[in-house]
Amino acid sequence: MRRILTFSLLIVIFSASFAWAAPIEIELVQYKQEALKIFEQLADKFNATHDNIKLKASSPSEAITILKTRFIREKYPDIIGIGGDVEFSNFLDAELLADVSSYKGLSKIKPAYINIIEGLEFVPTPGTYGVPYMANAAGILYNRDMFNEHGWKIPESWPEFIKLCEDIKAAGIRPLYFGYKDTWTTLAPWNALAVDLAPADICQQVNMGKATFTQAYREIAEKTYALLQYGEEGPFAYGYNDACTAFARGESAMFTIGSYAVPQILSVNPNMNIDSFVMPGSDDPNGQTLNSGVDLMFCVMENSPNKEAAYEVLDFLLEPENIQIYIDAQNAVPCSEGEFKLAPMLDGMRKYITAGKMADYQDHHYPSEMSVSAIIQTFLINGNVDEFLAKFDRDWIRYNRDIITKVQNYNASH
Amino acid sequence: MENITVKEKFNWPVTILLLLGLFTVLFPLYMTVVIAFKQPSEMTNDVIGLLSFPASWSFDNFREAMRVTDFWRSLFNSFLITAVTMVISIAIHSLMGYAVSRNMTNSRFYRFSYYYIVSGMFVPFAILMMPLVKQTAQLHIDNVFGVIVLYVVFYMPMNVLLYAGYLKNIPIALEEAAHVDGASTWTTYWKIIFPLMWPMHATVAVLTALGTWNDVMTPLVIMSGSGMNTLPLAQLTFQTQFGTNYNLAFASYLLALLPMLIFYLVAQKQIINGVINGAVK
Amino acid sequence: MKSQNERKRTFLLIAVPILLLFFCFNTLPLLRGFMYSFTNFRGYGKFDWVGWRNYADLFTDTRVGNSYWFTFKLALVATILINILSLIMALALNAKIRFKSFLRGMYFIPNILGALVVGYIFSYIFTYILPAITHAASMLADKNWAWIAIVIVCAWQSIAMNTLIYISGLQTVPEDVYEAASLDGATGWNRFRYITFPLIMPFFTINMVLCMKNNLMVFDQIMALTKGGPAQSTESISFLIYNNGMSGGQFGFQSANAVIFFIVIVIISVLQLRFLNKREEQL
Repeated sequence: MRRILTFSLLIVIFSASFAWAAPIEIELVQYKQEALKIFEQLADKFNATHDNIKLKASSPSEAITILKTRFIREKYPDIIGIGGDVEFSNFLDAELLADVSSYKGLSKIKPAYINIIEGLEFVPTPGTYGVPYMANAAGILYNRDMFNEHGWKIPESWPEFIKLCEDIKAAGIRPLYFGYKDTWTTLAPWNALAVDLAPADICQQVNMGKATFTQAYREIAEKTYALLQYGEEGPFAYGYNDACTAFARGESAMFTIGSYAVPQILSVNPNMNIDSFVMPGSDDPNGQTLNSGVDLMFCVMENSPNKEAAYEVLDFLLEPENIQIYIDAQNAVPCSEGEFKLAPMLDGMRKYITAGKMADYQDHHYPSEMSVSAIIQTFLINGNVDEFLAKFDRDWIRYNRDIITKVQNYNASH
Repeated sequence: MENITVKEKFNWPVTILLLLGLFTVLFPLYMTVVIAFKQPSEMTNDVIGLLSFPASWSFDNFREAMRVTDFWRSLFNSFLITAVTMVISIAIHSLMGYAVSRNMTNSRFYRFSYYYIVSGMFVPFAILMMPLVKQTAQLHIDNVFGVIVLYVVFYMPMNVLLYAGYLKNIPIALEEAAHVDGASTWTTYWKIIFPLMWPMHATVAVLTALGTWNDVMTPLVIMSGSGMNTLPLAQLTFQTQFGTNYNLAFASYLLALLPMLIFYLVAQKQIINGVINGAVK
Repeated sequence: MKSQNERKRTFLLIAVPILLLFFCFNTLPLLRGFMYSFTNFRGYGKFDWVGWRNYADLFTDTRVGNSYWFTFKLALVATILINILSLIMALALNAKIRFKSFLRGMYFIPNILGALVVGYIFSYIFTYILPAITHAASMLADKNWAWIAIVIVCAWQSIAMNTLIYISGLQTVPEDVYEAASLDGATGWNRFRYITFPLIMPFFTINMVLCMKNNLMVFDQIMALTKGGPAQSTESISFLIYNNGMSGGQFGFQSANAVIFFIVIVIISVLQLRFLNKREEQL
């Protein structure tokens, strides 16, 4: 392999010294398989307008597994498109990603999103290692027609929310749907409540030994549990797909999930009028925060020999026109500054998005092997808050041992 | 056996019980077929809604599934990998099964080899995966060839177990007679033993083919990026992180099921005919 | 004597290359995995050596403990159930029945259907259809019953394969044995107990071992039906090894889990083989 690389490098250098330079190939692998068509379209557009660089974009299924196997094989792409979650933290910690702080396009990204990805670093690392591209937002999806018909108002605080649920119930309609059989769905309301009720950097604080989840998460746990009575009977029998179908069929007025579920819901009921609102976790109407995280970000690989060309590709992707293409197809929230036309199901969240009043999903900090979603599911079945919180703290230390050591060493030396 | 069957009466009570038991297969199969013909907008969460017929019996889903998965090309790749794996497996594994079973009682080496290979069956694939990715890349076989080599190794334990077990029921006297006539062990094997094992070859063929045909993980991790798709790999397209198109997926799975079913039925015939051929010889 | 040497040489020429191939692509990666079990390797990137820590953790981890209990409970029940049913199926499908090819073909279908289909269909049956009939809550949502649901689906899927092996075993029973037996007046259960079963005993051994192995390594059915829930009651060992080791960042720790699991199953299977082989000789 190395021989081929050297050889192709030689060809590149050789041909570059002549005027008829062969284009540099930039390979981009991104993990949102549902955006396959958009990336094909964008790559064609890019290649039609750029002679010096050839963009090869792929959106494979199981992209994260494929990326990991490519890292093992040492066949690195130039740019990877991943989510702003613990996978990013791991790749960064494994020193696979390049510092892009010198990239000029970063100035166009909303600071809130840069902060979100900075917050994902295990230990504060100088530099910026990704360019946030798209965000998603989670909270509560609601059936707009049903709300209009009954004159229900979007709740601004927790007591109002509970009142709304009671009203809906009184009208003979099921207020919420959960679909907790797929354990990950338990994280949707959990994350949305956590942005209102816990500090955004709680995980770092715990790692530094300055806080415990027992204190920080009690209210979230109690409120997540309190919602159960407004959902379907036996929510642990139904999965995400059942919940999407049920909500689409009007079996519930609301669904605690993110904007990412909209395409699946619309596939069942294409004419449904969906809107969303921010989960009002706090008792104070001014204390609500939008739960929004980086859904797609681009990272340049440390091993890429063509970083300048990679930046050129990023410049292209960040052009407002191309961002709008992506938003239109995926109902996404752009991470860039500027005026964009957002999907109608984000209406209820718009003022938070414009104000930048948002915080990341807590679960982006959870190591996947800790299976927090399964722990929450267990708690929702048993209903024992104290046991759950104690287990959370215990397991956290167990699964983050190496990171905690790293953080504490870092603090000792800084 | 077949000619006796013709003369005798059919066993009707057993036939009827089997037909009744078929409900356990037909019901899920019915659901699969109905879903494969429906549109996503016809999906519901109640029993009647799901079991009802689709609005129209149109083959659009099948056409669309074939287009999305690049059906013929993926089918060809799957077919190639499965067929080559199967042929190599039958040749190599039966030889190994033969060597082991004929020497196990009096040689510690072969007894050890037998337990060594069979125990390889119990290694969880997840632990082998990362090292294998690295190893195949280093050997430059992170491609179809590598996938086939891995399959031949993966199915070796099961197949050696099967062949060795089968050979216990084939008397050694047959070979000894050939030996007296001056035939070498190698010739004896291919002339006498190999043909006698047809029922087992067919069984091994079915089990190996089935395993390779449905496997996603090995091609995914070994030949990802080579631009070559197998059918199960292409079918991953139907499942994205937050949405699954069950209707297209089911149509596609039904299409992928057919070649295997046909192959199984052909192999079944071999299992029966093999005995007759063997007995005649 | 000369032919004895020729025979030995041929067998060695067959066995040694095959053993080498097997070593390279099974044992060698296993040894690497074993090496990683002493690290905090994530599967890629850099890692540190952690000595015996992963093994020490393994024996104090209640989640791992529960997964062992669940997996063995499931494997034992499923193996017995599957073997009884597939033996009956094999005898029935091998009898002089009408529509033989059709019936054999139909009963083989469960084995070919992909995990996505099986998961969806059975989730539907357990979630909507069975509760509508029994008026009880879904089995999949009850942590005391979810494992039974998994046993049922495992059995439904794997009976076909074990039946196939029994059918090919039944082909080795010569027809004249039956004829002799019926002359002696042996029919029905007695004929099976004293004639058929002893003759297909090697296949019983194979099926017990294969079936036990498949059930101990249960993974697809869990991903398709419960994803380890409800309340983490259906997390099998393979589920933990794959989800936490491959998808999660616990590759080193789960390698240790895999090594121990491997040793445990090998011991079980070798004991099973020895015991059943002895029985074969007695019969």
